[in-house]
Amino acid sequence: MSDTVEVTLRAVGVLAAFLVLPLLVGQTEHKVMAHMQGRLGPMYAGGFHGWAQLVADGVKFVQKEDITPAAADKRVFRFAPAVALVPYLVALAAIPLSPDVVAADLPASAVFVLAVTAVGILGTLMAGWASANKYSLLGAMRAAAQLLSYELPMVLAVASVCLAAGSLSLSGIAAAWSPWWLIFQLPGAIVFLVAAVAELQRPPFDMPVADSEIVFGAYTEYTGLRFAFFLLSEYAGIVVMSLLFAVLYLGGWHGLLSDQLGWLWTLLKGFCIAVVVIWLRVAWPRLREDQLQRLAWLVLVPLALAQLALTGVWVVTTA
Amino acid sequence: MTALDVAFAAVGLITAASGLLAVTTRHVVHAALWLVVCLGAVAGCYLVLGAEFVALVQLLVYVGAIVVLVLFALMLTRAPIGPNSEISTSRLHRVLAGVLGAGVTALLAAALVPIAGPAVERHDTSTTQVAEQLFGTWVWPFEILSLLLLVALIAAMAVSRMTRPEQAADEVQAAQVQAAQTPSESA
Amino acid sequence: MSEQAKKPGGIGIPGILKGLATTARTMAKPTHTAEYPDAQPHLPPRSRGVIALLEENCTSCMLCARECPDWCIYIDSHKETIPATTEGGRERQRNVLDRFAIDFSLCMYCGICIEVCPFDALHWSPEFEYAEMDIRDLLHEKDRLGQWMPTVPPPSALDEHSAEAAEIGATTRPGRLTRATPERPTPTRATPTRATPTQPTPTPATPTRAIPTGQESPAAEAVPEPAPESEE
Repeated sequence: MSDTVEVTLRAVGVLAAFLVLPLLVGQTEHKVMAHMQGRLGPMYAGGFHGWAQLVADGVKFVQKEDITPAAADKRVFRFAPAVALVPYLVALAAIPLSPDVVAADLPASAVFVLAVTAVGILGTLMAGWASANKYSLLGAMRAAAQLLSYELPMVLAVASVCLAAGSLSLSGIAAAWSPWWLIFQLPGAIVFLVAAVAELQRPPFDMPVADSEIVFGAYTEYTGLRFAFFLLSEYAGIVVMSLLFAVLYLGGWHGLLSDQLGWLWTLLKGFCIAVVVIWLRVAWPRLREDQLQRLAWLVLVPLALAQLALTGVWVVTTA
Repeated sequence: MTALDVAFAAVGLITAASGLLAVTTRHVVHAALWLVVCLGAVAGCYLVLGAEFVALVQLLVYVGAIVVLVLFALMLTRAPIGPNSEISTSRLHRVLAGVLGAGVTALLAAALVPIAGPAVERHDTSTTQVAEQLFGTWVWPFEILSLLLLVALIAAMAVSRMTRPEQAADEVQAAQVQAAQTPSESA
Repeated sequence: MSEQAKKPGGIGIPGILKGLATTARTMAKPTHTAEYPDAQPHLPPRSRGVIALLEENCTSCMLCARECPDWCIYIDSHKETIPATTEGGRERQRNVLDRFAIDFSLCMYCGICIEVCPFDALHWSPEFEYAEMDIRDLLHEKDRLGQWMPTVPPPSALDEHSAEAAEIGATTRPGRLTRATPERPTPTRATPTRATPTQPTPTPATPTRAIPTGQESPAAEAVPEPAPESEE
């Protein structure tokens, strides 16, 4: 019976984190982006510096009419947001905030998170194809091409860390982490960060939703709650990738008072990475499709392979 | 009948049903999407059987990459919404395929059921065990397989770059013209 | 192509770092946002907010309505006969303004009506807070237009050595009824300035300004006459 209670508690905890953290990142994006552009951002909703702006947005999305285009493949169209959203929820469950604070401590959680997030792209593909809209289709194809090419450097970069730690579990990797890795794994970390931003289709890799070219890519036809789900999945993706980066490359809960406040350290490091992701969006223009592919195959993949080889040599010599 | 048996039966049923739907549906993209369900359920089968790592790799490679590639290729072609009759097979084909499928199933059943015997105890395969087997006992087949994949990769590149003789001559000419127009580019 | 794409890549790293630095610096600086409903904006005094009507100056000459590019000024008037003031004198006619309305849902704030008004009946006011929930309420009638008049800023001060304002000049110099010939005052003021350009007085404005002042002065009943005639 206590097992059931514990499972329920963990599930509720993950769901709460899944609903709160993306909103936190979204609000941070509102404010950070505004100040980086010399603006104030939302100031009214909720009173204090517009903290409830995203809640208000959510209420607005709920009130909107849910439109399914007449020519769309209706079942696929309606199902796509769930396919985009649920993988990140599952991935969040496997990311440890500290050795104790983890919803599901899997033996191969690093591979698990990568595998699950790779499923999320199917939601975009389904949305793009089922919308019966040429912009949506173009956006979906761009998304697919982008994600296929950036999946490889990302997996290679993670493989390098796993190799150095001798573990496929995120808890094990963070436990084996030492500050020296900051330099040793730096190329891999950069590759991971770039690939993660590309995987999230965030600027400067937002070709699939380039508004000046293809309206809003695969999500063009979506309104209301389903559109909100896509947005939520984007921000949940930022949360997952930032926490993953913090655990893999920044040592997760390592820090002052890590026994008591380890989870806070992980959240703090992840939050810093999320701010960096937002910062990149503000500072850099969008890449062109050929630049995108060139960066993936001519820079990131060789860099990730070199990092993997370096880690391999290091592991063999120190073993 | 343990919980694991029930789980295995459930994912097995899902696998079989989605596989059947993938080959019977008239919507070409739906077929690919049912394939996703099928491959995901196969990963579930692995998971129930205790091969966690294999299940994850199945998910990462097949659902995350292969099916995405299939969908991408389908979208590059004319993949209309709704059933398209012109790509469906004739009745004879379908009967033949059904007979063939049934035959293979019967063959497998005939070969496997006698040796199944009493239920084998489920044991979790750790990632370390998989690695030891892969890079110990099976290292040569593994390396030869990777070599095969490398050959296939290079061959694919060669095929994609291969041109017919007259076409090649045209291209050389075009390249020369282009080089003459933009000398800085060829430099 | 590859060369072109490579070149920015080679020198791109400092460039993209510079982009990051710029945004970070901007974040550290105070923002430019004007929190308008909470804090009043600092508008220049001559902002084009709304058009005010000084009804007493309007002669219903219709110049503004005709020059308006999108025809958003509506004027109705009728003629009134004023009995002769002196024995055996001529009866005079004047226009009485019945309706003057500007439809601010059409107005594009070009200011042409204000420019063309020969009698200074229209003025720019910096007030801008007259949004309505119904677009039809943006049609301001003459009383509403008149209410904007107190918000019109006074004319800016003249330069130090410039000629006195034409209105003041009209009131201080001898009235028209008393002068012997109409030409006398104007040439005496105009000719010396043309002859001696060293004088700092901005002369060319003087004769042109002298014309409206004539209408401003109470003694100038004769001048509004041409406008109604031109109307018909």
